[in-house]
Amino acid sequence: MISCREFRDQFQPQSQDANLLEHVRTCDACLDFAAHVDPDIMFRAIGGSEMVPPGGVDAFVDDVMRQVRVRSAANVVNIQPRWSWRRMSAAAAIVAGVTVGTTMYVMTGFNPSHDVLKPVATAHVAMVQKNLTTKPVVETYESENATIVEVPGESTGAQIVMIVDDSLPSDL
Amino acid sequence: MKRRILLALAALAIMTGTAYADAADAGKALSVRTFQFKFKEADKAAAVIKALVSSEGSMAIQPSSNSLVVTDHADNLKAIANALSQYDAPARNVRLSVRLIGASRVDPSAVTATAEGLKDIAAELSMLRFNAFEKLGDSEVQGKEGEPGMIDLGTGYRAEFKFGEYDPASDTIKLNDFRLEKLQNDQLTPLYKASLNLKLGRTVIVGAQKPQGQRALMIVVIAKRS
Repeated sequence: MISCREFRDQFQPQSQDANLLEHVRTCDACLDFAAHVDPDIMFRAIGGSEMVPPGGVDAFVDDVMRQVRVRSAANVVNIQPRWSWRRMSAAAAIVAGVTVGTTMYVMTGFNPSHDVLKPVATAHVAMVQKNLTTKPVVETYESENATIVEVPGESTGAQIVMIVDDSLPSDL
Repeated sequence: MKRRILLALAALAIMTGTAYADAADAGKALSVRTFQFKFKEADKAAAVIKALVSSEGSMAIQPSSNSLVVTDHADNLKAIANALSQYDAPARNVRLSVRLIGASRVDPSAVTATAEGLKDIAAELSMLRFNAFEKLGDSEVQGKEGEPGMIDLGTGYRAEFKFGEYDPASDTIKLNDFRLEKLQNDQLTPLYKASLNLKLGRTVIVGAQKPQGQRALMIVVIAKRS
């Protein structure tokens, strides 16, 4: 595009020069200058009587569409709110999950005897009770000097208990 | 719509937390329950459930009403109630099958095959230091909890005892004052006296010997409900 000095040197009333008309469309100062010399300059600059924009229709259309795209892109960016409902819903779901998980952790303490793991807990308790309530075969024996040995055997087999007592008669 | 979903999620989180808090409190809280006995004495029942009461639990006997007040966790109280319901029952019939065995240490060349009537316990007998076993006699006796019992083994040996109480927690019947005696010169000589706990359905072998003795006397007994 020509400079303002070149425009003012070359401009003549009723001029149809495309370079001059292009310049006057983008420079307000030269448009004001040219309007004093030729009041119709503005009409001719935007297409004038032949309704063909300077530089051709394609260039004009490209220029217009470029402006439209720039403004559309600006609008798309501006209409995005910072916090959308979708984001807030996702955040709420995460908070709910963390709350439930934390509550379970604190209340249960990963204790396997809690109701959450009830079948396992029942088996565990039953086994402990069985061990706790096992009784010795010989609970009392009258002689204090005796040694009593219980041989731990399998629960299904016979259990052996030996009483070694010096006070027993030799001819048992 | 989205706002409703958000509110529903928040309410769900609060309700879930409250529910778990209630459940946890219920599991940790202590409860009190009174058990009154119809057939058994409360002080003996206390001994039966002693092993079942947790470290945080406690119990108090009320002799005037023959009852037991137990404080414990709800889960534990269920187990205690179950044990006491089995315990507070009319006197049970028990049957004892008894065999008497003489065991000795002999020269290995003189060892014979396992005697008839002892093959079911041959594996257990092989664990002992003796290598010759002789069945001296056998007998069966039936009785109720609290009744006296007597076993005559027919070869000069006799056992007297008293049927004790059945313990549901260990599934055992107690034989109180079990006295084994031997007839010598028309007189009964006491050999030993003990109290025995016999698990129902399980074979128990009770042997007696002197230290470094070459002979032992063994009683093989099985207690069963009858």
